[in-house]
Amino acid sequence: MATRYAFSIDLDRCIGCQACVVACKTGNEVPLTDSFIAVRDIVRGQSPNFFGSFAHQRCFHCGDAACVSVCPTGALSKWNGLTVVDVDKCSACGYCTDACPYKVPHITDNHVSKCIACLDLVKDGESPWCAQTCPSQAIKFGEREAILASAKTRVATIAARYPNANVYGETQLGGLGLLMILLEKPAVYGLPEKPEITLRLEAWQQVVQPASVGLTLTAVAVTGLSFIIARRQHLREKAAAPAPAETAAEGKSAEVRPEQSAAESKERKENG
Amino acid sequence: MASESMRLVRRYLPAQRLVHWIGVLTFLTLLFSGIALLVPPLAFLAAGGTSRLIHRIAIVPFVLLPIAYVILNPKQTKELLVESFTFTRDDLEWFKHMPAYFFGRTKGLPPQGRINAGQKLHHATTFLMFVIVAASGFVLLFGKGQLGPDGLALAAMAHDLSMLGLTVMMIGHLYFTLLYDALNSMLTGFVTEEYAKMEHPKWLEELPPNAFVVKSKEGDQTSAPKAKSP
Repeated sequence: MATRYAFSIDLDRCIGCQACVVACKTGNEVPLTDSFIAVRDIVRGQSPNFFGSFAHQRCFHCGDAACVSVCPTGALSKWNGLTVVDVDKCSACGYCTDACPYKVPHITDNHVSKCIACLDLVKDGESPWCAQTCPSQAIKFGEREAILASAKTRVATIAARYPNANVYGETQLGGLGLLMILLEKPAVYGLPEKPEITLRLEAWQQVVQPASVGLTLTAVAVTGLSFIIARRQHLREKAAAPAPAETAAEGKSAEVRPEQSAAESKERKENG
Repeated sequence: MASESMRLVRRYLPAQRLVHWIGVLTFLTLLFSGIALLVPPLAFLAAGGTSRLIHRIAIVPFVLLPIAYVILNPKQTKELLVESFTFTRDDLEWFKHMPAYFFGRTKGLPPQGRINAGQKLHHATTFLMFVIVAASGFVLLFGKGQLGPDGLALAAMAHDLSMLGLTVMMIGHLYFTLLYDALNSMLTGFVTEEYAKMEHPKWLEELPPNAFVVKSKEGDQTSAPKAKSP
Protein backbone atom coordinates (compact mmCIF):
# COMPACT_ATOMS: atom_id res chain seq x y z
CA MET A 1 0.00 0.00 0.00
CA ALA A 2 1.09 3.46 -0.81
CA THR A 3 2.45 5.67 1.90
CA ARG A 4 -0.08 7.97 3.50
CA TYR A 5 1.45 11.27 4.55
CA ALA A 6 0.05 13.73 7.06
CA PHE A 7 0.84 16.97 8.86
CA SER A 8 0.24 17.67 12.50
CA ILE A 9 0.00 21.05 14.18
CA ASP A 10 0.48 21.18 17.91
CA LEU A 11 -1.36 24.21 19.28
CA ASP A 12 0.34 23.83 22.64
CA ARG A 13 3.64 24.48 20.90
CA CYS A 14 2.48 27.03 18.32
CA ILE A 15 3.52 30.55 19.32
CA GLY A 16 1.67 32.28 16.49
CA CYS A 17 4.86 33.74 15.03
CA GLN A 18 3.72 33.47 11.39
CA ALA A 19 7.05 31.99 10.34
CA CYS A 20 5.21 29.12 8.58
CA VAL A 21 3.10 31.62 6.65
CA VAL A 22 6.17 33.50 5.45
CA ALA A 23 8.12 30.31 4.68
CA CYS A 24 5.18 28.95 2.68
CA LYS A 25 4.81 32.13 0.68
CA THR A 26 8.51 32.41 -0.03
CA GLY A 27 9.18 28.75 -0.70
CA ASN A 28 6.21 28.31 -3.02
CA GLU A 29 6.53 31.76 -4.60
CA VAL A 30 2.94 32.58 -3.72
CA PRO A 31 1.96 36.04 -4.99
CA LEU A 32 1.83 38.79 -2.37
CA THR A 33 -1.93 39.09 -2.59
CA ASP A 34 -2.49 35.37 -2.05
CA SER A 35 -1.72 32.88 0.70
CA PHE A 36 -1.91 29.10 1.10
CA ILE A 37 -1.99 29.18 4.88
CA ALA A 38 -3.00 31.65 7.57
CA VAL A 39 -2.62 31.78 11.35
CA ARG A 40 -4.77 34.03 13.49
CA ASP A 41 -5.19 34.59 17.19
CA ILE A 42 -8.32 33.44 18.92
CA VAL A 43 -9.29 34.69 22.34
CA ARG A 44 -12.23 33.23 24.22
CA GLY A 45 -13.79 33.90 27.61
CA GLN A 46 -14.22 36.89 29.90
CA SER A 47 -11.60 38.65 31.99
CA PRO A 48 -9.88 37.34 34.01
CA ASN A 49 -10.47 33.84 32.60
CA PHE A 50 -9.11 34.14 29.09
CA PHE A 51 -8.32 31.32 26.79
CA GLY A 52 -6.01 32.16 23.94
CA SER A 53 -4.80 30.02 21.08
CA PHE A 54 -4.11 30.08 17.36
CA ALA A 55 -6.38 29.00 14.57
CA HIS A 56 -4.70 27.67 11.43
CA GLN A 57 -6.67 28.16 8.23
CA ARG A 58 -5.22 25.74 5.71
CA CYS A 59 -5.98 22.61 3.74
CA PHE A 60 -6.80 19.56 5.88
CA HIS A 61 -5.94 17.12 3.09
CA CYS A 62 -9.15 15.14 3.74
CA GLY A 63 -9.11 11.40 3.11
CA ASP A 64 -12.45 11.79 1.31
CA ALA A 65 -11.93 15.23 -0.16
CA ALA A 66 -15.07 17.05 -1.34
CA CYS A 67 -12.95 19.34 -3.51
CA VAL A 68 -11.44 16.38 -5.35
CA SER A 69 -14.82 14.73 -5.86
CA VAL A 70 -16.38 17.86 -7.40
CA CYS A 71 -13.33 18.91 -9.42
CA PRO A 72 -14.38 18.33 -13.05
CA THR A 73 -10.94 18.56 -14.62
CA GLY A 74 -8.68 16.61 -12.28
CA ALA A 75 -6.84 19.78 -11.24
CA LEU A 76 -7.31 18.59 -7.66
CA SER A 77 -6.35 15.01 -6.89
CA LYS A 78 -5.08 12.77 -4.11
CA TRP A 79 -1.47 11.70 -3.91
CA ASN A 80 -0.39 9.51 -1.00
CA GLY A 81 -2.96 11.04 1.32
CA LEU A 82 -2.26 14.61 0.25
CA THR A 83 -4.62 16.77 -1.80
CA VAL A 84 -2.45 18.11 -4.57
CA VAL A 85 -3.00 20.73 -7.26
CA ASP A 86 -2.30 20.76 -10.98
CA VAL A 87 -2.85 24.42 -11.81
CA ASP A 88 -2.57 23.82 -15.56
CA LYS A 89 -5.69 21.65 -15.51
CA CYS A 90 -7.76 24.10 -13.47
CA SER A 91 -10.76 25.71 -15.19
CA ALA A 92 -11.46 28.07 -12.26
CA CYS A 93 -15.04 26.77 -12.10
CA GLY A 94 -14.97 27.35 -8.35
CA TYR A 95 -16.83 24.16 -7.41
CA CYS A 96 -14.09 23.36 -4.84
CA THR A 97 -14.49 26.70 -3.08
CA ASP A 98 -18.14 25.93 -2.41
CA ALA A 99 -17.79 22.21 -1.74
CA CYS A 100 -15.01 22.37 0.88
CA PRO A 101 -16.42 22.13 4.42
CA TYR A 102 -13.49 24.23 5.66
CA LYS A 103 -13.75 26.92 2.96
CA VAL A 104 -10.09 26.45 2.09
CA PRO A 105 -9.61 26.46 -1.70
CA HIS A 106 -10.09 29.80 -3.39
CA ILE A 107 -9.79 31.11 -6.93
CA THR A 108 -6.95 33.53 -7.56
CA ASP A 109 -5.64 34.68 -10.90
CA ASN A 110 -8.00 32.29 -12.74
CA HIS A 111 -6.94 29.13 -10.96
CA VAL A 112 -7.40 27.32 -7.69
CA SER A 113 -5.15 28.25 -4.80
CA LYS A 114 -4.53 26.22 -1.66
CA CYS A 115 -1.80 24.33 0.21
CA ILE A 116 0.00 22.09 -2.25
CA ALA A 117 1.86 20.19 0.49
CA CYS A 118 5.16 21.35 -1.10
CA LEU A 119 4.90 18.31 -3.32
CA ASP A 120 8.34 18.81 -4.91
CA LEU A 121 10.02 18.80 -1.50
CA VAL A 122 8.03 15.81 -0.32
CA LYS A 123 8.91 13.84 -3.44
CA ASP A 124 12.57 14.60 -2.70
CA GLY A 125 12.13 13.17 0.79
CA GLU A 126 12.09 16.54 2.54
CA SER A 127 9.45 18.17 4.74
CA PRO A 128 7.22 21.02 3.51
CA TRP A 129 8.46 24.58 4.14
CA CYS A 130 6.13 25.26 7.07
CA ALA A 131 7.29 22.16 8.96
CA GLN A 132 10.95 22.86 8.20
CA THR A 133 10.68 26.45 9.38
CA CYS A 134 8.52 26.24 12.52
CA PRO A 135 10.81 27.48 15.34
CA SER A 136 8.81 25.79 18.10
CA GLN A 137 8.43 22.52 16.20
CA ALA A 138 4.67 22.73 16.33
CA ILE A 139 4.31 21.56 12.72
CA LYS A 140 5.32 18.03 11.84
CA PHE A 141 5.15 16.08 8.64
CA GLY A 142 5.60 12.37 7.97
CA GLU A 143 3.79 9.08 7.59
CA ARG A 144 0.31 9.45 8.95
CA GLU A 145 0.44 6.52 11.36
CA ALA A 146 3.52 7.85 13.12
CA ILE A 147 2.20 11.42 13.09
CA LEU A 148 -1.11 10.27 14.59
CA ALA A 149 0.61 8.23 17.31
CA SER A 150 2.85 11.13 18.33
CA ALA A 151 -0.15 13.50 18.31
CA LYS A 152 -2.00 11.19 20.69
CA THR A 153 1.03 11.06 22.96
CA ARG A 154 1.16 14.85 23.00
CA VAL A 155 -2.52 15.08 23.94
CA ALA A 156 -1.91 12.68 26.84
CA THR A 157 1.05 14.78 27.93
CA ILE A 158 -0.83 18.08 28.01
CA ALA A 159 -4.06 16.59 29.38
CA ALA A 160 -3.25 17.80 32.90
CA ARG A 161 -3.14 21.42 31.71
CA TYR A 162 -5.80 21.13 28.99
CA PRO A 163 -8.41 18.53 29.99
CA ASN A 164 -10.34 19.15 26.75
CA ALA A 165 -7.30 18.61 24.54
CA ASN A 166 -7.91 16.32 21.59
CA VAL A 167 -6.59 15.21 18.24
CA TYR A 168 -8.79 16.63 15.50
CA GLY A 169 -8.93 14.73 12.24
CA GLU A 170 -8.37 11.10 13.14
CA THR A 171 -11.69 9.97 11.68
CA GLN A 172 -13.31 13.00 10.03
CA LEU A 173 -13.86 12.76 6.26
CA GLY A 174 -12.01 9.51 5.89
CA GLY A 175 -9.28 10.74 8.20
CA LEU A 176 -7.67 14.12 7.67
CA GLY A 177 -4.15 14.57 6.36
CA LEU A 178 -3.67 17.41 8.81
CA LEU A 179 -4.09 16.39 12.43
CA MET A 180 -4.66 19.28 14.81
CA ILE A 181 -3.68 18.96 18.46
CA LEU A 182 -6.41 21.18 19.86
CA LEU A 183 -6.37 22.53 23.40
CA GLU A 184 -10.13 22.91 23.48
CA LYS A 185 -13.12 21.36 21.74
CA PRO A 186 -13.19 21.84 17.95
CA ALA A 187 -16.06 24.33 18.17
CA VAL A 188 -13.80 26.77 20.06
CA TYR A 189 -11.61 26.88 16.96
CA GLY A 190 -14.59 27.12 14.64
CA LEU A 191 -14.04 23.59 13.40
CA PRO A 192 -17.03 21.31 12.70
CA GLU A 193 -17.12 18.27 15.01
CA LYS A 194 -18.40 15.96 12.28
CA PRO A 195 -17.86 17.51 8.88
CA GLU A 196 -19.30 15.55 6.00
CA ILE A 197 -19.74 15.57 2.29
CA THR A 198 -23.45 16.42 2.17
CA LEU A 199 -26.00 14.09 0.65
CA ARG A 200 -26.93 16.70 -1.95
CA LEU A 201 -23.35 17.05 -3.05
CA GLU A 202 -23.10 13.28 -3.41
CA ALA A 203 -26.44 13.12 -5.24
CA TRP A 204 -25.18 15.71 -7.69
CA GLN A 205 -21.88 13.94 -8.26
CA GLN A 206 -22.97 10.31 -8.11
CA VAL A 207 -26.45 10.46 -9.63
CA VAL A 208 -27.32 13.68 -11.46
CA GLN A 209 -24.10 14.14 -13.40
CA PRO A 210 -23.78 10.58 -14.73
CA ALA A 211 -27.54 10.42 -15.33
CA SER A 212 -27.48 13.64 -17.35
CA VAL A 213 -24.77 12.38 -19.64
CA GLY A 214 -26.17 8.83 -19.75
CA LEU A 215 -29.74 9.82 -20.55
CA THR A 216 -28.58 12.21 -23.25
CA LEU A 217 -26.57 9.46 -24.90
CA THR A 218 -29.51 7.07 -24.50
CA ALA A 219 -31.78 9.56 -26.24
CA VAL A 220 -29.29 9.84 -29.09
CA ALA A 221 -29.07 6.05 -29.39
CA VAL A 222 -32.84 5.46 -29.20
CA THR A 223 -33.71 8.15 -31.75
CA GLY A 224 -30.86 7.04 -33.98
CA LEU A 225 -32.08 3.45 -34.10
CA SER A 226 -35.80 4.16 -34.32
CA PHE A 227 -35.18 6.72 -37.06
CA ILE A 228 -34.29 3.91 -39.43
CA ILE A 229 -37.58 2.13 -38.72
CA ALA A 230 -39.69 5.27 -38.56
CA ARG A 231 -38.32 6.83 -41.73
CA ARG A 232 -39.05 3.67 -43.68
CA GLN A 233 -42.57 3.61 -42.30
CA HIS A 234 -43.13 7.26 -43.14
CA LEU A 235 -41.85 6.91 -46.69
CA ARG A 236 -44.05 3.85 -47.22
CA GLU A 237 -47.07 5.78 -45.93
CA LYS A 238 -46.23 8.77 -48.07
CA ALA A 239 -45.74 6.70 -51.20
CA ALA A 240 -48.94 4.80 -50.57
CA ALA A 241 -51.22 7.75 -50.04
CA PRO A 242 -50.83 10.01 -53.09
CA ALA A 243 -50.04 7.52 -55.81
CA PRO A 244 -52.79 4.95 -56.27
CA ALA A 245 -52.04 4.92 -59.97
CA GLU A 246 -48.56 3.61 -59.33
CA THR A 247 -49.07 1.11 -56.56
CA ALA A 248 -52.80 1.02 -55.82
CA ALA A 249 -51.78 0.39 -52.27
CA GLU A 250 -54.39 0.50 -49.52
CA GLY A 251 -56.92 1.83 -51.97
CA LYS A 252 -56.54 5.39 -50.83
CA SER A 253 -57.51 8.19 -53.16
CA ALA A 254 -54.98 10.75 -54.22
CA GLU A 255 -54.87 13.72 -51.89
CA VAL A 256 -51.87 15.22 -53.54
CA ARG A 257 -51.03 15.61 -57.18
CA PRO A 258 -48.77 12.82 -58.48
CA GLU A 259 -46.13 15.19 -59.83
CA GLN A 260 -45.60 16.35 -56.28
CA SER A 261 -44.80 12.91 -54.96
CA ALA A 262 -42.52 12.38 -57.90
CA ALA A 263 -40.65 15.54 -56.99
CA GLU A 264 -40.44 14.34 -53.43
CA SER A 265 -39.08 10.95 -54.30
CA LYS A 266 -36.42 12.81 -56.27
CA GLU A 267 -35.71 14.87 -53.18
CA ARG A 268 -35.60 11.73 -51.10
CA LYS A 269 -32.95 10.23 -53.31
CA GLU A 270 -30.92 13.38 -52.96
CA ASN A 271 -31.20 13.18 -49.20
CA GLY A 272 -30.00 9.62 -49.33
CA MET B 1 -42.34 17.65 -65.44
CA ALA B 2 -42.53 21.06 -67.04
CA SER B 3 -45.62 22.21 -65.21
CA GLU B 4 -44.39 21.30 -61.76
CA SER B 5 -45.51 23.72 -59.14
CA MET B 6 -46.67 23.47 -55.56
CA ARG B 7 -48.59 25.50 -53.06
CA LEU B 8 -46.63 26.65 -50.02
CA VAL B 9 -47.87 28.07 -46.75
CA ARG B 10 -46.05 30.70 -44.73
CA ARG B 11 -45.29 29.27 -41.31
CA TYR B 12 -42.52 31.38 -39.78
CA LEU B 13 -41.65 35.06 -39.99
CA PRO B 14 -38.02 36.02 -40.70
CA ALA B 15 -37.63 37.31 -37.12
CA GLN B 16 -38.82 33.97 -35.76
CA ARG B 17 -36.35 32.08 -37.93
CA LEU B 18 -33.54 34.38 -36.89
CA VAL B 19 -34.33 33.84 -33.20
CA HIS B 20 -34.56 30.11 -33.82
CA TRP B 21 -31.20 29.75 -35.57
CA ILE B 22 -29.25 32.05 -33.28
CA GLY B 23 -30.89 30.11 -30.47
CA VAL B 24 -29.62 26.85 -31.99
CA LEU B 25 -26.12 28.21 -32.32
CA THR B 26 -25.91 29.60 -28.78
CA PHE B 27 -27.62 26.56 -27.27
CA LEU B 28 -25.16 24.15 -28.86
CA THR B 29 -22.24 26.38 -27.85
CA LEU B 30 -23.47 26.43 -24.27
CA LEU B 31 -24.15 22.69 -24.30
CA PHE B 32 -20.70 21.69 -25.50
CA SER B 33 -18.77 24.26 -23.48
CA GLY B 34 -20.77 23.20 -20.43
CA ILE B 35 -20.45 19.47 -21.00
CA ALA B 36 -16.67 19.89 -20.77
CA LEU B 37 -17.21 19.99 -17.00
CA LEU B 38 -19.25 16.76 -17.00
CA VAL B 39 -17.36 14.42 -19.27
CA PRO B 40 -13.84 13.75 -18.00
CA PRO B 41 -12.30 13.12 -21.46
CA LEU B 42 -13.44 16.63 -22.46
CA ALA B 43 -11.89 18.25 -19.40
CA PHE B 44 -8.98 19.56 -21.48
CA LEU B 45 -11.43 22.03 -23.04
CA ALA B 46 -12.01 23.50 -19.61
CA ALA B 47 -8.36 23.76 -18.59
CA GLY B 48 -7.16 27.32 -18.47
CA GLY B 49 -10.72 28.58 -18.70
CA THR B 50 -11.22 28.20 -22.49
CA SER B 51 -14.67 26.65 -22.26
CA ARG B 52 -15.59 29.03 -19.44
CA LEU B 53 -14.90 32.06 -21.63
CA ILE B 54 -16.91 30.60 -24.53
CA HIS B 55 -19.73 29.68 -22.14
CA ARG B 56 -19.90 33.20 -20.74
CA ILE B 57 -19.90 34.85 -24.15
CA ALA B 58 -22.69 32.57 -25.40
CA ILE B 59 -24.84 33.41 -22.37
CA VAL B 60 -25.37 36.94 -23.69
CA PRO B 61 -27.26 36.13 -26.92
CA PHE B 62 -28.87 33.06 -25.33
CA VAL B 63 -30.56 35.17 -22.66
CA LEU B 64 -30.96 38.50 -24.46
CA LEU B 65 -32.34 37.17 -27.74
CA PRO B 66 -35.60 35.71 -26.35
CA ILE B 67 -36.03 38.82 -24.21
CA ALA B 68 -35.55 41.07 -27.25
CA TYR B 69 -38.03 38.95 -29.22
CA VAL B 70 -40.60 39.18 -26.44
CA ILE B 71 -40.22 42.95 -26.30
CA LEU B 72 -40.34 43.44 -30.08
CA ASN B 73 -43.09 40.91 -30.78
CA PRO B 74 -45.39 40.92 -27.76
CA LYS B 75 -48.37 39.79 -29.84
CA GLN B 76 -46.71 36.71 -31.33
CA THR B 77 -45.15 35.88 -27.98
CA LYS B 78 -48.48 35.98 -26.21
CA GLU B 79 -50.04 33.86 -28.95
CA LEU B 80 -47.24 31.33 -28.72
CA LEU B 81 -47.39 31.10 -24.93
CA VAL B 82 -51.17 30.80 -24.81
CA GLU B 83 -51.16 28.20 -27.57
CA SER B 84 -48.29 26.27 -26.03
CA PHE B 85 -49.92 25.98 -22.63
CA THR B 86 -53.47 25.25 -23.82
CA PHE B 87 -54.05 21.53 -24.14
CA THR B 88 -57.33 20.33 -25.70
CA ARG B 89 -59.06 16.97 -25.98
CA ASP B 90 -57.54 16.57 -29.44
CA ASP B 91 -54.12 16.96 -27.87
CA LEU B 92 -54.78 14.13 -25.44
CA GLU B 93 -55.88 11.97 -28.35
CA TRP B 94 -52.73 12.98 -30.18
CA PHE B 95 -50.56 11.81 -27.29
CA LYS B 96 -52.23 8.41 -27.52
CA HIS B 97 -51.02 8.25 -31.11
CA MET B 98 -47.60 9.54 -30.14
CA PRO B 99 -45.88 6.09 -30.09
CA ALA B 100 -47.14 5.36 -33.61
CA TYR B 101 -46.19 8.89 -34.70
CA PHE B 102 -42.74 8.33 -33.21
CA PHE B 103 -42.34 5.34 -35.52
CA GLY B 104 -43.41 7.19 -38.64
CA ARG B 105 -47.17 6.60 -38.71
CA THR B 106 -49.31 9.70 -39.22
CA LYS B 107 -52.52 7.90 -40.12
CA GLY B 108 -55.24 8.28 -37.50
CA LEU B 109 -53.70 11.37 -35.93
CA PRO B 110 -56.42 13.62 -34.57
CA PRO B 111 -56.46 16.93 -36.51
CA GLN B 112 -54.11 19.52 -35.05
CA GLY B 113 -53.95 23.29 -35.15
CA ARG B 114 -50.93 25.46 -35.87
CA ILE B 115 -49.00 23.77 -33.07
CA ASN B 116 -49.53 20.07 -32.57
CA ALA B 117 -49.63 18.50 -29.12
CA GLY B 118 -46.03 17.33 -29.28
CA GLN B 119 -44.90 20.81 -30.22
CA LYS B 120 -46.97 22.25 -27.38
CA LEU B 121 -45.24 19.94 -24.94
CA HIS B 122 -41.91 20.86 -26.50
CA HIS B 123 -42.59 24.60 -26.26
CA ALA B 124 -43.97 24.48 -22.73
CA THR B 125 -41.09 22.37 -21.46
CA THR B 126 -38.52 24.47 -23.30
CA PHE B 127 -39.96 27.65 -21.81
CA LEU B 128 -39.89 26.29 -18.24
CA MET B 129 -36.46 24.71 -18.63
CA PHE B 130 -35.09 27.90 -20.12
CA VAL B 131 -36.15 29.84 -17.03
CA ILE B 132 -34.61 27.21 -14.72
CA VAL B 133 -31.35 26.87 -16.64
CA ALA B 134 -30.91 30.63 -16.85
CA ALA B 135 -31.78 31.24 -13.19
CA SER B 136 -29.53 28.45 -11.87
CA GLY B 137 -26.79 29.61 -14.22
CA PHE B 138 -26.90 33.10 -12.76
CA VAL B 139 -26.77 31.66 -9.25
CA LEU B 140 -23.70 29.60 -10.19
CA LEU B 141 -22.07 32.56 -11.93
CA PHE B 142 -22.62 35.25 -9.33
CA GLY B 143 -22.81 33.09 -6.20
CA LYS B 144 -19.46 31.42 -6.72
CA GLY B 145 -17.70 30.99 -3.39
CA GLN B 146 -20.76 31.94 -1.34
CA LEU B 147 -23.04 29.01 -2.04
CA GLY B 148 -21.63 26.39 0.31
CA PRO B 149 -21.80 22.66 -0.49
CA ASP B 150 -25.61 22.43 -0.45
CA GLY B 151 -26.19 25.63 -2.39
CA LEU B 152 -23.69 24.58 -5.03
CA ALA B 153 -25.22 21.11 -5.29
CA LEU B 154 -28.77 22.48 -5.62
CA ALA B 155 -27.91 25.08 -8.23
CA ALA B 156 -25.75 22.65 -10.18
CA MET B 157 -28.39 19.91 -10.10
CA ALA B 158 -31.03 22.36 -11.34
CA HIS B 159 -28.63 23.47 -14.07
CA ASP B 160 -27.72 19.92 -15.11
CA LEU B 161 -31.28 18.57 -15.07
CA SER B 162 -32.86 21.49 -16.92
CA MET B 163 -30.10 21.19 -19.50
CA LEU B 164 -30.77 17.46 -19.72
CA GLY B 165 -34.44 18.28 -20.37
CA LEU B 166 -33.57 20.83 -23.04
CA THR B 167 -31.07 18.52 -24.71
CA VAL B 168 -33.45 15.56 -24.85
CA MET B 169 -36.15 17.91 -26.18
CA MET B 170 -33.74 19.12 -28.83
CA ILE B 171 -32.87 15.57 -29.86
CA GLY B 172 -36.57 14.74 -30.16
CA HIS B 173 -37.19 17.97 -32.05
CA LEU B 174 -34.43 17.16 -34.52
CA TYR B 175 -35.72 13.60 -34.82
CA PHE B 176 -39.23 14.62 -35.85
CA THR B 177 -37.90 17.38 -38.09
CA LEU B 178 -35.78 14.96 -40.09
CA LEU B 179 -38.35 12.17 -39.98
CA TYR B 180 -41.14 14.31 -41.49
CA ASP B 181 -38.97 16.50 -43.75
CA ALA B 182 -39.81 19.64 -41.80
CA LEU B 183 -36.41 21.30 -41.91
CA ASN B 184 -37.37 23.52 -44.82
CA SER B 185 -40.04 25.29 -42.83
CA MET B 186 -37.44 26.82 -40.55
CA LEU B 187 -35.00 27.45 -43.41
CA THR B 188 -37.40 29.18 -45.80
CA GLY B 189 -40.29 30.02 -43.51
CA PHE B 190 -42.67 28.03 -45.74
CA VAL B 191 -44.10 24.52 -45.63
CA THR B 192 -45.79 22.59 -48.38
CA GLU B 193 -49.54 22.38 -48.34
CA GLU B 194 -49.22 18.61 -48.24
CA TYR B 195 -47.18 18.78 -45.06
CA ALA B 196 -49.62 21.20 -43.45
CA LYS B 197 -52.51 18.89 -44.37
CA MET B 198 -50.73 15.98 -42.71
CA GLU B 199 -49.60 17.74 -39.53
CA HIS B 200 -51.79 20.79 -38.98
CA PRO B 201 -55.12 20.45 -40.86
CA LYS B 202 -57.05 22.67 -38.41
CA TRP B 203 -54.53 25.44 -38.91
CA LEU B 204 -54.70 25.03 -42.68
CA GLU B 205 -58.49 25.47 -42.67
CA GLU B 206 -58.33 28.72 -40.74
CA LEU B 207 -55.67 30.28 -42.95
CA PRO B 208 -56.63 33.23 -45.16
CA PRO B 209 -56.10 32.69 -48.90
CA ASN B 210 -53.16 35.09 -49.02
CA ALA B 211 -51.17 32.77 -46.77
CA PHE B 212 -50.48 30.56 -49.79
CA VAL B 213 -47.86 31.02 -52.45
CA VAL B 214 -47.25 29.02 -55.58
CA LYS B 215 -43.72 27.94 -56.10
CA SER B 216 -42.33 26.76 -59.37
CA LYS B 217 -40.37 23.55 -59.09
CA GLU B 218 -37.99 24.53 -61.85
CA GLY B 219 -36.37 27.32 -59.89
CA ASP B 220 -33.74 27.04 -57.24
CA GLN B 221 -35.25 24.91 -54.51
CA THR B 222 -33.85 26.90 -51.66
CA SER B 223 -34.74 30.35 -52.93
CA ALA B 224 -37.71 32.08 -51.40
CA PRO B 225 -40.95 31.91 -53.39
CA LYS B 226 -41.67 35.04 -55.36
CA ALA B 227 -45.16 34.68 -56.74
CA LYS B 228 -48.02 35.17 -54.33
CA SER B 229 -51.48 33.95 -55.14
CA PRO B 230 -54.17 36.58 -54.73
